[in-house]
Amino acid sequence: MKLNDSQQKVHRKLAGIVLLMFTVSFFLPLLLTRENRIAPEIPITIIDIGLGFTLLLLIPPGMMILYGILRNVRVTEWVRTLSGFLGILFPVLILALIGPQRISTLGAFSRFSPGSGMYLYLIATSMIFIMDARLKLRDYAGFIIILGVLLSLGATGAYSQLGIVLEAENFGNRLSREIFAHLRITGISLIISMSIGIPFALLTFQNRRVRKLIFPLLNVLQTIPGIALFGLLIAPLAALSRAFPLLRTWGIKGIGNTPAIIALSIYAIYPIIRYSFTAFSNLDGSIVLAAKGMGMNSRQIWTLVRFPLAAPGILQGVRVALVQTIGNATLAKLIGGDGLGVLVFEGLGQASVDMVLLGMMLIIALTLAADRILYVLITLSTPKPLRAS
Amino acid sequence: MSRSSQHPVLPETTIFLQTEHISVKYGETLALQDVSLQIPSNRVTVLIGPSGCGKSSTLRCINSLVKISAGKIDYCDASVHALSETDLRRSMGYAIQSVGLMPHLTVEDNVDLVPRLLGWDRSTRDERVIRLLNLVRLEPQTYRKKYPHELSGGEAQRVGVARALGADPPVLLMDEPFGAVDPLTREQLQDEFIRIQRHLKKTVIFVTHDIDEAVRLADYLVIMRDGRIVQADTPEQILSNPVDDFVERFLGPDRSLKRLSLYTADHCCVGEVVSGTSRPSKDQLPIGTHDCYWQIDEQGKPISGFTRLHGSVVERKICSASHKVQTYSSLKECMSTILSLGLPAAAVVDEEGKLLGEVRFDTIQKISIS
Repeated sequence: MKLNDSQQKVHRKLAGIVLLMFTVSFFLPLLLTRENRIAPEIPITIIDIGLGFTLLLLIPPGMMILYGILRNVRVTEWVRTLSGFLGILFPVLILALIGPQRISTLGAFSRFSPGSGMYLYLIATSMIFIMDARLKLRDYAGFIIILGVLLSLGATGAYSQLGIVLEAENFGNRLSREIFAHLRITGISLIISMSIGIPFALLTFQNRRVRKLIFPLLNVLQTIPGIALFGLLIAPLAALSRAFPLLRTWGIKGIGNTPAIIALSIYAIYPIIRYSFTAFSNLDGSIVLAAKGMGMNSRQIWTLVRFPLAAPGILQGVRVALVQTIGNATLAKLIGGDGLGVLVFEGLGQASVDMVLLGMMLIIALTLAADRILYVLITLSTPKPLRAS
Repeated sequence: MSRSSQHPVLPETTIFLQTEHISVKYGETLALQDVSLQIPSNRVTVLIGPSGCGKSSTLRCINSLVKISAGKIDYCDASVHALSETDLRRSMGYAIQSVGLMPHLTVEDNVDLVPRLLGWDRSTRDERVIRLLNLVRLEPQTYRKKYPHELSGGEAQRVGVARALGADPPVLLMDEPFGAVDPLTREQLQDEFIRIQRHLKKTVIFVTHDIDEAVRLADYLVIMRDGRIVQADTPEQILSNPVDDFVERFLGPDRSLKRLSLYTADHCCVGEVVSGTSRPSKDQLPIGTHDCYWQIDEQGKPISGFTRLHGSVVERKICSASHKVQTYSSLKECMSTILSLGLPAAAVVDEEGKLLGEVRFDTIQKISIS
């Protein structure tokens, strides 16, 4: 592990911020308990959890102080990594040990959840990992251990009264159905925007007049707020489906998934056209000239030269569009569509924080997974010699 | 065939193509004006001139990368007559300065591009790639799987030339193909080019702005300026009779030396020389001050040269490669060797370093006077 001076300086500054976050987190409630899902919450702070657990929670910040003082790089990096893992492990343990114990007197419908203090504590810990540009093998090994601890605690039923777990149980089959609906809406929108966007990027690239027209238009579309666009589509689509009842059998009507998909596609087109256009225009002119000079016809120039070299750039646009669409698809619920927005907005309606949290966590997980998958695809589509290793 | 060009053409050659009064416009600017030119078959035609003189545009007209706005091009040769645009380009190898190798393809696939476009079968193409890489002196086993970014400038240019030769086209269009490398590598590449061209005898149209390169490579030299042809003739003719001040300035003050670079040592090598394995005795040494005695070792390699100067015997050791010349060395190099050793002649050796003969100063003098 080699760090230069400026990197170390940045690390020390970050360590300071992490310490500050740890400190603030101790003044916020660590856990919340409720008698039932909409009852007012009873906060549990660090004073209430007993000296032993308090000391446990103080170990990671203590190690960060050590990290700031020590000069030996080899040692400090180990101290840092270890404090990161303990910083995840201890809150997880405390949640499992204190939560069930505190609600045991509150009745059958009672539940517990992490409080804002614990969230801040976990965010501070994640910043310890963010200090590295890239996670190392030992980091992944640590995550697997923590996952193992989490699963074995879960198997003993320690988390069965956790708010999010209870909400997920309530949803049952509906939960997986909404996840699939979310993915379906996102996927269809993405396919539509790709099949319109990529050919349009081609046209834009080849025709100066189209270029002058399309980018201002896309910019305007991009500025329309999401909900407004969803709403704007209701009237015309409703009219259309009234005029042509056949359309209704295909699901095209003013409310539901169709207008959501249309609106999401419109949003996703922008990054796709932008990135594809840039990918096409970034191509070295001499390569195209050589290809033409060697007698490739224009179709061959596209299939053998332009597309293979532009593919990573195009996929980069798809990546941006996908991440953005997964987030925006949450709004589909507002016009009667499906997806994880159902959890978020129903949760808001029922004043159930846990339900909102469940929905948001699932959306974040989907986004991260999609981003990762696209990243791999981009690497695979980049010609070997051009990959930055 | 009508000869519309007023410029002299090479004797004993057929005309590959001729341009008749072609002009090219880029928007409002006139890149070429009334260019009439006859390109000889199986010879190297070099287009040269300052930047923006229209030399590259002329080249691109020939494979129709640039559309001509007036005039016409007659492809007289049967191999390219009446081909479609893409077929025309496939029949003309094209090498450009920036090389333009496909960064996502291996050396092998780059060289193989045109044969693949032409639909040759796999085994022919494999053989072809190996032959071409050998031709441009790149070891096939080492280089075929490499990617362009792993090559040095000189290696990339070689691959560029190999790719241009890919489908064995009758014509090669080369747009400053050795432009982007250091002078030493450039000279090597020129040597290789001369070697390859002697062997293949392609119709080559070569664009450069380097007058030494032009004189070295050209059978037929076309000097251009502001989109027009100023003079087109053999390099010998142009060097001895520049048509105007511009050409004279362009050729530079050392054009007599440049003329010498047109001839190689074998052109005027004298085979009968005075030589022996021992140092010369007084009477073995030739009488005149224009004569040389060469001392050779058992293998016939020259060790020393002897001559008379002001009545006394002068000995010059031949100890480095620059002290002797090869049959293919230019007379300019011979002249340099003569001057550096201070002998009246330069020893000519064969590939193994054995003495073949000598190039004498007075012979060179005669050539430069003629």
